[in-house]
Amino acid sequence: MADFLDPVASQMSDETFLLLRDLIYEHSGIYFSDNKKAQLENRLSLRLKANNLPDYDKYYYMLKYDPQASRELKALFDSVTTNETSFFRSPPQIQAFQEKALPEIIQHRLEKGEKVLRLWSAGCSTGDEPYTMGIILKEVLKDRLSEWDVKIYASDISEKALKSARASTYNEYTLRSVPPEIKKNYFIQNGPLFTVCDEIRSLVELQYLNFNDAKRVKLMRGFDIIFCRNVLIYFDDAAKKNFVAQLYDNLNPGGYLFIGHSESLHNISRAFKLVHFPGALGYKKE
Amino acid sequence: MNSRVLDIIKGIDDIPTLPSVAMEVMDLTRSAEVSIREISECIHKDPALAMRVLRMANSSFYRRGSKEIDTIHRAILMMGLNEVVNIATSVSVLSILNPKNDERESLRRKLCNHCIATALIARYMDKKIHLRAQGREFVGGLLHDIGKIIFDEYFHDRFLEAHELSIRKDCPMFEAEKEVIGATHMDVGSFLAQKWKLPPYLADIILNHHNPADAQLKDITALISIANLLAKAREISCGGDTISFVLKDQGAWLILKKLGHPMDTLDLERITFEMEDIGQEVQKYISTVLDQPSEGNADG
Repeated sequence: MADFLDPVASQMSDETFLLLRDLIYEHSGIYFSDNKKAQLENRLSLRLKANNLPDYDKYYYMLKYDPQASRELKALFDSVTTNETSFFRSPPQIQAFQEKALPEIIQHRLEKGEKVLRLWSAGCSTGDEPYTMGIILKEVLKDRLSEWDVKIYASDISEKALKSARASTYNEYTLRSVPPEIKKNYFIQNGPLFTVCDEIRSLVELQYLNFNDAKRVKLMRGFDIIFCRNVLIYFDDAAKKNFVAQLYDNLNPGGYLFIGHSESLHNISRAFKLVHFPGALGYKKE
Repeated sequence: MNSRVLDIIKGIDDIPTLPSVAMEVMDLTRSAEVSIREISECIHKDPALAMRVLRMANSSFYRRGSKEIDTIHRAILMMGLNEVVNIATSVSVLSILNPKNDERESLRRKLCNHCIATALIARYMDKKIHLRAQGREFVGGLLHDIGKIIFDEYFHDRFLEAHELSIRKDCPMFEAEKEVIGATHMDVGSFLAQKWKLPPYLADIILNHHNPADAQLKDITALISIANLLAKAREISCGGDTISFVLKDQGAWLILKKLGHPMDTLDLERITFEMEDIGQEVQKYISTVLDQPSEGNADG
């Protein structure tokens, strides 16, 4: 019966949704499309409770006008970022990588007579992303893969995540977007668990890296493609600008940067060319 | 255009036509002295058309104030003559675009969805850059691929062949059409626009939407060209070529920039994210015009 006495979580009106969406986009570059309203409402309901606020309007005004708002913004970003990661996450981006960016770079390399590819999964978490990149490299190059000097660097700040990545063993849920034949060809099943096969594992080099360590980040040079998805949200604007400028320098000319599916560099960098792919965006260094 | 293709099209007795009242409205607007009353009376001659125009004027796509628009006369007063004529044209065109037997995955369904998405995006972009095309961008967007509808209807097998060729060669549809059919959808579409006695700017847009530099009405044609790309980037398309592009390098973009439109101030990422719901908007548009319950979204 206690539930009955609790303040009933208020509904987010369409107007408040638009205000919050603009505010979040302005501060984080993350965009919530109309069909994500329920998701945002759900995530923010916890922030409402934490701040003891009766409705989303009050929450918006707090963010907008309270001098202490920057602290709450951090908490808000944490709550709207999914810490979840999975194989073949955001399929249109993966498809853009597989069908457009990668073939373009391979072609470019072949013309120069260099069979070298350097990829970086910046913020690789438990390894789903770099192994996905490895699988796709194999799918694109097929038997020719062995003729190439390929390395996928995968870095993260969490030792715990890196440990999972090293174990490279996943459950069915993490593999939910993986097509059946990919699952069959690249994973070894052991009961309910799936381990990435050695051929793919050998392409990936895992390492600890703190993005605030500017010297070490600078050393990550000569990349053809960088995935840095849903990482930027953890930086403030100035740090974001520095880090993205560094990523630009880390890329080879003609290389691509992919950030989170609904992340934007609009106010962060003008150095890249924005490329539209079907259902996804990429940033190209010319 | 290959004259044989033209001859075949000329010889088609049952080539689709706009409802006679819509044609009459178009004819009336040619005269500089047309009155609100004349247009309003003309539209009311076709009650189904009048009802659709009013439903549209009151929908979220157009409605501005809170007051309901209950007559065509009031619609013209509130929205302007041009906008109302454009709505009348759009709802008439939709009945031609929309497939009769509705297979969700058919090429025709994708074509229709693509045309509506292009029109909606053109309208959205018109507002973004304050072009004030007054609905011409919408009608133009809706009609830009009308030639493909003719191909699908009367040259179906060859159109499918062209579609497959464009996938195989990863080339634009119009190149494949030229090779397989002997004419492009731009040629056939602009021919049809003339046959329907549509205002000349529409034939211009249809003919030049892949090369707006050649258009008379460069700004609106360029806008539709961009909307066409953005619809394809949302995978609401029927073309075979898999698309990737840098918007800022497009001829259409550069034309608008050269004409002094604020292209550099646009947040392209945000515009792209806002397009994510365009599939649902397309369904909503169809169901509003046809007064049918909306079903799912139009992605793919």
